[in-house]
Amino acid sequence: MGIRINPDLPADMLAGLAEDRQQEDQAIQELSTGLKVNQPSDNPAAVAGYIVNSAQASAVNTYLSNISTLQGSMQEADSSLNSVVTALSQAISLAVEGANSTMNASDRAALAQEVNGIQQQILGYANDSFQGNYLFAGTAVKTQPFVADSSSSSGVSYVGNTGVNNVDIGDGQTVPTNLPGSQLFTAPGADVFQALADLSTALTSNTNIPAAENEVQTAFNYINSQRTFYGATLSRLNTATTFLNEESVQLSQEENNLVGADMATAASQLTQAETDLDASLAAGGKISQYSLLDYLT
Amino acid sequence: MASLFGALSIAVRSLYAQEGALDTTANNISNANTPGYSRELPILTEAPPLDTGQISIGNGVEFDGVQSVRDNILELRIDQETQQQNQLQSYVNSMNQVQSLFNETQSAGLSDALNNFFNSFQQLADNPTDIPTRQGVISAGQDLAAVFQQTGQQLSNIQQGIDQQVGQTVNEINSDTTQLATLNEQISCLQDSSEQAGMLQDQQYTLLNNLSQLVDVAVTQTNNGGLTVTTSNGVPLVAGGQGFALSTETNPSTGFQDIFSQGSDVTSSFTGGQLAGLLQARDQSIPSVLSNLDNLAAGIINAVNAQSQQGYDLNGAQGVDFFQPVVQPTPGSNAGAASHMAVAITDPSLIAASSSLIGYGTTGLSLTAGTTITAGDTLTISQNGNTHTTANTLTTVGALMSDINTWGQQYGISAYLVGGNLQIQGSAAGGTMTVTPGGNFTTDVGALTPGTQGDNGNALALANLQNQAVVNGETPTDFYSGLVSTVGNDVETATDEQESVGLVLTQLKNQRSDTSGVSLDEEAANLIQYQRAYEAAAEVVAAINELTNDVLQEV
Repeated sequence: MGIRINPDLPADMLAGLAEDRQQEDQAIQELSTGLKVNQPSDNPAAVAGYIVNSAQASAVNTYLSNISTLQGSMQEADSSLNSVVTALSQAISLAVEGANSTMNASDRAALAQEVNGIQQQILGYANDSFQGNYLFAGTAVKTQPFVADSSSSSGVSYVGNTGVNNVDIGDGQTVPTNLPGSQLFTAPGADVFQALADLSTALTSNTNIPAAENEVQTAFNYINSQRTFYGATLSRLNTATTFLNEESVQLSQEENNLVGADMATAASQLTQAETDLDASLAAGGKISQYSLLDYLT
Repeated sequence: MASLFGALSIAVRSLYAQEGALDTTANNISNANTPGYSRELPILTEAPPLDTGQISIGNGVEFDGVQSVRDNILELRIDQETQQQNQLQSYVNSMNQVQSLFNETQSAGLSDALNNFFNSFQQLADNPTDIPTRQGVISAGQDLAAVFQQTGQQLSNIQQGIDQQVGQTVNEINSDTTQLATLNEQISCLQDSSEQAGMLQDQQYTLLNNLSQLVDVAVTQTNNGGLTVTTSNGVPLVAGGQGFALSTETNPSTGFQDIFSQGSDVTSSFTGGQLAGLLQARDQSIPSVLSNLDNLAAGIINAVNAQSQQGYDLNGAQGVDFFQPVVQPTPGSNAGAASHMAVAITDPSLIAASSSLIGYGTTGLSLTAGTTITAGDTLTISQNGNTHTTANTLTTVGALMSDINTWGQQYGISAYLVGGNLQIQGSAAGGTMTVTPGGNFTTDVGALTPGTQGDNGNALALANLQNQAVVNGETPTDFYSGLVSTVGNDVETATDEQESVGLVLTQLKNQRSDTSGVSLDEEAANLIQYQRAYEAAAEVVAAINELTNDVLQEV
């Protein structure tokens, strides 16, 4: 007698079928979820990378949201300062006009009134707010920073603070979010309100008008130089946004590399698995239909 | 001397023998699909010849019973692979439940809550005095705590489920060993080649294979056909007619069932079968995941609390714990940190968003720069080792402020008014500042309170904890990704092993089928063979009948 062949073919066939079905399931799962890693054991290293990657992606989104919030307040602050500069240059013209010897007292009084109006206008800009937060109050953003104060020589007191906040715009990258109002408008030697108050007084009394004009000019130059902070920061924010958007794209590509399914491969795997399964089933259908007993009569 | 009747008895014996062989074939065909059945062969032997003087005449065939065709070594190999297969299978099943808790690519797990929590501090830094934003931080903290709690709880639930399976498995083992002991006793009373002995042995090997699915076994065969069964580490299970039952007892410290044999704890001695897989998951893998989860929770809780205490809340008070502090059951153990994680504060203003930049303010006074104060009223300001007491001759708040500012400018310390309150702002880098009133100020400015004025330094520091090595020398994200990949690796390795063991097992089972399986073709051929032999023997009887008839008619 020759070698005995395993007479229990169905068991063998079932093991084969189970394997084919498993491959089919895997391919279908990849196609339906779009992921080749559907549980940590599918590829533990890829899942670890995915977790770190998604933490980074989430941080990038937060940085972008920080930047977008900050851009709004920075643009608002910059435009307020622009108005302040315009108003100050107007005050300088008034001073030049007032220094002209052809002006009489009532003309100068009218000019002084105009200068007072400009001071009020600038007070309004200095108290500008963005989304409910005062822009020039230091970090005390809920307090109106500049108040009319008759006891102060300029008629205005700063009641904000000198704090500066920073926010993160990238890993380890921070930018300051504000300049305190005291640094901008009431800096020693370049106090905007004092300069305008002095100009108004000078025009009214017709004394030291050129000196007062000089004072306003100094304040104008000072504000202009401080304003560059906002311009520079805004341009830094733009650069950071471009960088973060690129990083965001890279991170999502990386995520796809780590856990995303290659649809073409998954689809061809599905076809392959189905073909195998069909073949196994067809073969299985042929097994055990006949034995010698069928031919004994 | 030969005789007709001698021939008749040979023919009849042959009829009996062929009947026995036909019975055996019939039994094989009937049991073609019976699990654990080994095909049987009839034992036909030549009957001892009849010696009459110098002539020796054959005396026909004898049916000496049946023999099961079984390769005992192969059976044991199958049992060994079965033990390994089932150990891996039950381990993978248990750990699959565990890995589903950390299925990050399907949005399960801690990642989202972890990222949201630290991002909420970034949002707080954008708007540190905003109450809804502060509320958002508390919500994110509560979400994180809830995810830790749930994950910890679910791990415990999985462990408890496994523990119940351990109890059931022990019961099944005991049932199998009792039956094996009974079979041992029955077999020892029987002849080896009887049909019944073959059946009992089939049952014996079927039970042994069942037992191998449950636990690792080492088998020795005794002379009388009995089996002595122990685990591979020598825990007795069956000896002769005696079964040694395993018992379980709840361990008060773990709350899980320990396994005892003959009074001694054998829980850690199992190396195969479903039981070993369950115990490995229950006692090693899940506790390790749980302990890592606890360490992660404790690392985050401790770091966030420590950083909070370094900051100041919206009211200017020293920061308090954000999370309930970790209570270590024993020194060095963070057990329970995840399942007890909770946010300690409910008042959003208590979040310590501000760093040591700290201003002091009066409250309850209505001051302007011109408000008169009494000569002799002083404030002593101290920060970073620099101390200044205001002149005791000042009579207006404006003069007081300018006194402070003149001195403070070089150290970044300044004084100003906010809504009728005097504020003194310290240097951002200068650490905690103190302001001590003197003169009438001790009563007038009794309510001298620190204020933070919207500084966000500590919120940034809290957000940056995500990138700090606060959990066993790793960042929370790195530590967590390590935890998840360890779980994934455990399952992957066990699944791969299971597949390769499965292949070996399939081959071995095929091999067993080759040897012991019933082939209907073969049985059909045997049937013809025995049938023909029976018919031939019957012909012999008929021939002898005719011959005796002839003889009788002659008479």
